[in-house]
Amino acid sequence: MTFWLTVVVSGLATYLTRSLPLAVTLRGTPPARLRRYLDALPVAIIAALAGAGIAVPDGTPTGGAEVGAALVALGVAAWSRNLLFAVVAGVTAVAALRAVGL
Amino acid sequence: MIPGRAAIVEGWPLFLTSLLIGIPYGVVARQVGLSIPEASAMSLIVFAGAAQFATVELLRTGADGLVIVLTVVLINARHLLMATALRPFVARASLPRRLGLAYVLTDEAFAMGIGWFRRGHHDLTYYTVFGAVLWCCWNAGTLVGATLGADIQDPQRFGVDFAITASFVAIVVLGVRHRADAIVAVVAVLVAAALRLAGASAIAVVVAGALAPMAAFALREDRR
Repeated sequence: MTFWLTVVVSGLATYLTRSLPLAVTLRGTPPARLRRYLDALPVAIIAALAGAGIAVPDGTPTGGAEVGAALVALGVAAWSRNLLFAVVAGVTAVAALRAVGL
Repeated sequence: MIPGRAAIVEGWPLFLTSLLIGIPYGVVARQVGLSIPEASAMSLIVFAGAAQFATVELLRTGADGLVIVLTVVLINARHLLMATALRPFVARASLPRRLGLAYVLTDEAFAMGIGWFRRGHHDLTYYTVFGAVLWCCWNAGTLVGATLGADIQDPQRFGVDFAITASFVAIVVLGVRHRADAIVAVVAVLVAAALRLAGASAIAVVVAGALAPMAAFALREDRR
């Protein structure tokens, strides 16, 4: 496959993963079990993204800086209920922890 | 605060991150021999950071296009879950609008959008503005990186790369409404982290995200 064909097919496939559930209209009400599953899905996916980012932030295992900073972000989020404070605290914490060699 | 403004105010750390991650993407794309138009085209057409970095790495190792496409699909399969979860909030929008919203659906836009909807808002402006600005930042970063080509200082030293993960952590904390949510979140974090540490990076988020809600069922069944 040429580069351009690869990019176009990758792009189309990616767009399908994004658009299919939004484009296709389902009829009727989904069963209770499915609704509960879908209800829990956002928290699960975002938590999975967080877990993956904490464990291997850029593809190479690192020290405990990310784990420590994630706990700081968690604490600040729970205490302040403010997204921005938590992000700033997490970024500051990870920079500080990396600086001391964690 | 009006939704569009809120999207900018709350989203700027992620916009900055997108810009700053777009730059190294542009740089590594050039380093494996892609031209500026080729590097930029991938950001315009595919618009998925993790998949683009994976593509560049596979191009470097001389992988077949088919392998690249399969990897991209695997990495991006999580969008199916995200779009499904987003569906109830955008159900009243027209089809063209939904197709537009789908194009800017990223981990970040999903997380921020869900965070907004969960705070009781019903407008699509917040998600739209956030998604559009993030798209601009990613493509601007790509162009800058591809133009510079090399010699970019490591953004890791300033912890900027951690902004995405910190946002995910905060969104989960703010989004947990009851004990089942908390258990689902903990299971998802542990499964995703374990899979990535085990080397299954491409499928870690998809598998953990799809399996963790089962923990909520298990919990409810136990109570009966």
